[in-house]
Amino acid sequence: MTSHLGLMALFSVFVSIVFASLMRDEPRDQLWFGAKLFAGFIAAGVLIGWLLYPLPL
Amino acid sequence: MRASAADQVEPATNKYLVAAIAWAIPGAGHLLLRRWQKGVTFLIALTLMFATGLWLEGRIFPLGFDLSQPLVGLAAIADLGIGLPYFIAKFMGHGAGRVVAITYEYGNAFAIVAGLLNMLVVLDAWDVAEGRK
Repeated sequence: MTSHLGLMALFSVFVSIVFASLMRDEPRDQLWFGAKLFAGFIAAGVLIGWLLYPLPL
Repeated sequence: MRASAADQVEPATNKYLVAAIAWAIPGAGHLLLRRWQKGVTFLIALTLMFATGLWLEGRIFPLGFDLSQPLVGLAAIADLGIGLPYFIAKFMGHGAGRVVAITYEYGNAFAIVAGLLNMLVVLDAWDVAEGRK
């Protein structure tokens, strides 16, 4: 559970839940918006991870 | 996003009181305004997120501004955004932060972002109390 990916996913779950509840009023809209946010977080994290991969850090 | 017609019937509540309660207990402002679903969601999600930060051995940054470490002061303000859980965790001796722990920075991120998100929740509760949402 303490892997980078696992913690990123957990972080994304919390942030998506809060933002979805803040920005949408109907439960159905919240669920859909939260799912899209979560997918966006994960996709962006993986994409940025791969973009950084060749850098000599 | 505008509230539905049913939600727009608000009780007469002091917005300053709502903001203070919303800050002290995540989600409590919405509960006071009878936004039950949102209130419970914020209460569970933000409290769990802050607790996860402590579980990951993150640090609760101390209040007080040291010019040599300005980011510590900013992190403390962000941590404080979570309200009473900040003080309860401090009182219980949590949040010392173990710098050598592999999850230390993750823990800090969870605790800091939980505080910042609660600040947004306070602003949302304020808007609801004012009748703007």
